[in-house]
Amino acid sequence: MDSDAAMSVTVTPGAVAHIMENPSPNTDTEAVPEIVVQVVDLKPVGARLSFTASDGKDKIKAILPSQYVQVVRAGNLQNLGLVRILDYTCNNVADRPDKVLIIIKCEVVCKSMDSEIKSEADKQEEEKKPAIVLTPKEEEESVVVFKPTNALPPAPVALKPKQEVKSASQIVNEQRGNAAPAARLAMTRRVHPLIALNPYQGNWVIKVRVTSKGNLRTYRNARGEGCVFDVELTDEDDVIAVYGEQLRVLVYRLGTQIQATMFNEAAKKFYPMFELGKVYYISKGSLRIANKQFKTVHNDYEMTLNENAVVEEAEGETFIPQIQYNFIKIDQLGPYVGGRELVDVVGVVQSVSPTLSVRRKIDNETIPKRDIVVADDSSKTVTISLWNDLATTTGQELLDMVDSAPIVAIKCLKVSDFQGLSLSTVGKSTVVVNPDLPEAEKLRAWYCSSLKHFYFLVLSVILSTLFLDIILLNRYDSEGKGTSMASVGSDMGGSRAGGARLMYTDRVFLSQITSDPTLGQDKPVFFSLYSFISLIKPDQTMWYRACKTCNKKVTESVGSGYWCEGCQKNDAECSLRYIMVIKVSDPTAEAWLSLFNDQAERIVGCSADELDRIRKEEGDDTYLLKLKEATWVPHLFRVSVTQNEYMNEKRQRITVRSEAPVDYAAEAKYLLEEIAKITAC
Amino acid sequence: MDTSGPAAFVNGEILNMYVGRRVRTVVQAQREEGGLLIGQSTDGHQLTIKGASGAPMLRYVEIIGIAESNQTIRAEVCTDFGENFDPAPFNGLCKLANGQMKDMFL
Repeated sequence: MDSDAAMSVTVTPGAVAHIMENPSPNTDTEAVPEIVVQVVDLKPVGARLSFTASDGKDKIKAILPSQYVQVVRAGNLQNLGLVRILDYTCNNVADRPDKVLIIIKCEVVCKSMDSEIKSEADKQEEEKKPAIVLTPKEEEESVVVFKPTNALPPAPVALKPKQEVKSASQIVNEQRGNAAPAARLAMTRRVHPLIALNPYQGNWVIKVRVTSKGNLRTYRNARGEGCVFDVELTDEDDVIAVYGEQLRVLVYRLGTQIQATMFNEAAKKFYPMFELGKVYYISKGSLRIANKQFKTVHNDYEMTLNENAVVEEAEGETFIPQIQYNFIKIDQLGPYVGGRELVDVVGVVQSVSPTLSVRRKIDNETIPKRDIVVADDSSKTVTISLWNDLATTTGQELLDMVDSAPIVAIKCLKVSDFQGLSLSTVGKSTVVVNPDLPEAEKLRAWYCSSLKHFYFLVLSVILSTLFLDIILLNRYDSEGKGTSMASVGSDMGGSRAGGARLMYTDRVFLSQITSDPTLGQDKPVFFSLYSFISLIKPDQTMWYRACKTCNKKVTESVGSGYWCEGCQKNDAECSLRYIMVIKVSDPTAEAWLSLFNDQAERIVGCSADELDRIRKEEGDDTYLLKLKEATWVPHLFRVSVTQNEYMNEKRQRITVRSEAPVDYAAEAKYLLEEIAKITAC
Repeated sequence: MDTSGPAAFVNGEILNMYVGRRVRTVVQAQREEGGLLIGQSTDGHQLTIKGASGAPMLRYVEIIGIAESNQTIRAEVCTDFGENFDPAPFNGLCKLANGQMKDMFL
């Protein structure tokens, strides 16, 4: 007897580990082994109790069902007491990495202890433990972000030995005893955070805002007719203070979302009640695991409300959760085509079509539609079809302001392969014009900087048009082997900034080179070019192994290392040097240029060794991205043109001798001079 | 593309030809007088811009709007072009767009 009593006055070592390893014990077939844990941090959460179950070494969050509330109220179980767990289940809570222990049946072993039981080893460990470092989670809803908030006092509280989690409303409540009546009412109504909801808890109240409202749809299935609609609910952002050993850490938890569906009677009852943007207290809904096929909200669970559910509008309560976007760049939309996943996009509106009426085949109903073209800083555009209200009202708003290049952030777009790739709004899509987001700022800055160069582009279009006119009407006489080629721009002279001076001598368009195969027959001819890099083939041999001393090509020698013919020596290491062809474009033609190390390094933005490392260590995607970033960038090139014979065919070879970045002001001046010359005659 | 309200490229002198119509130009912000921006056009004229307040001085600003007189524009859109803008090419563009190359523009 005595030994029994002694045994029961402490926790079972390894209890938590056992629970986590056996999350769903089958109590029909075998009894749960002896598990006694200490109840720490006991506090009411809604109509039930939450606590931390400790076995002296490990801890796990736990929930006590409502039937034990009486026990606690009567004082028969207090904080720091011991319980023997008879039946339980261990759950993953939506979006949290840690598990939650749901107690189904337990008995009190000891109603209270003096202090928290800790194993010896654990005590020593705790002293040395550093401050809590919270790692950011993958999902958006539970992003851990350090943000200051107005609701909490500015000075952090110094050392607190215990690890305690308090919600912001509790802290504020403690510190502001004289809160305004309305605020107090909200806080005394025990509201559960959405993230803590799970199917095993019936008694909860949530306070949520309707962030999306679907349409009331009718359906017909084997069981007859019915109607259904769903809403997306988001709860309040919250700040949690976590006390570590050294400091208090404020964790900003963004509101979580959950989808709530209503059928038939409930749908008819709640459809007029739920208004987009308003806040409601909801209780007595039921939860189940979300059907991944149909869900578009990031939550493991989804909610169903039947006629028994209680929905109460929160009078005067407003909180505006930040709309959480997950923007996809326009050039990254490819993989989403034809899938169910809805995407968010932000971009600059370039054009807005008038409203069109489209007749739906199914029921002959006509729906308004408007197409807008949106561009983002991936330098791609996409057509977005706005339907129904978005077409008529928002579409009109955009049309009125299209000249100011408004920025739109659109949530929940369907990606289809209509006309290659296009986006389409659905019932739950939202459009925000000129949103107050950092992405919008970035886009505005990108757009403005590309706008400045717009004028320059207009000039270059003028010049190339004039030039092409001349070519078509009055073919150059190529008797003088290249002399007429250089006449456009040959007598530039003038004063140009030092290094770039060369880039204006013998300036030609690509077509002037490619259309004359006789160039460079005897000796190389030099020209300057302004053109865009249009393609760098990723699967070409981009480099050669070079001697570190003399940069000549080395061969792999017998044994190890590399042999340099020029230096007549072996070296263990070699460097990689670029040698590649790139495709360039200008308004008149395209051509392939040979490119060597020095210029290639500037164009690609890193050395060949570095690019090789990126390809090997960071993978193909990063490598392709690096090449892509170099594409469609304009450069000034100094090239030499020679003629080679290859398989009895004479081929033109254009080699880059030097490269310079584009100085738009100087280019524009040059263009004007050229235009003046051409138009003068 | 909405081409119903094209804005003509203008400088100080050419503005005269487009009174009452939509124009676009670049001015260098000189000073502000009671909500009106006084800017220097790319050909050295002083232009008055309505509705373009808040432009930092001596920066180039693109103005798209309706020309109210041969010296005033009622701005609809202003875009900051910063300090690094050469007015000469823009001026050349205006002359070309309204002169020899008129047919290329709306």
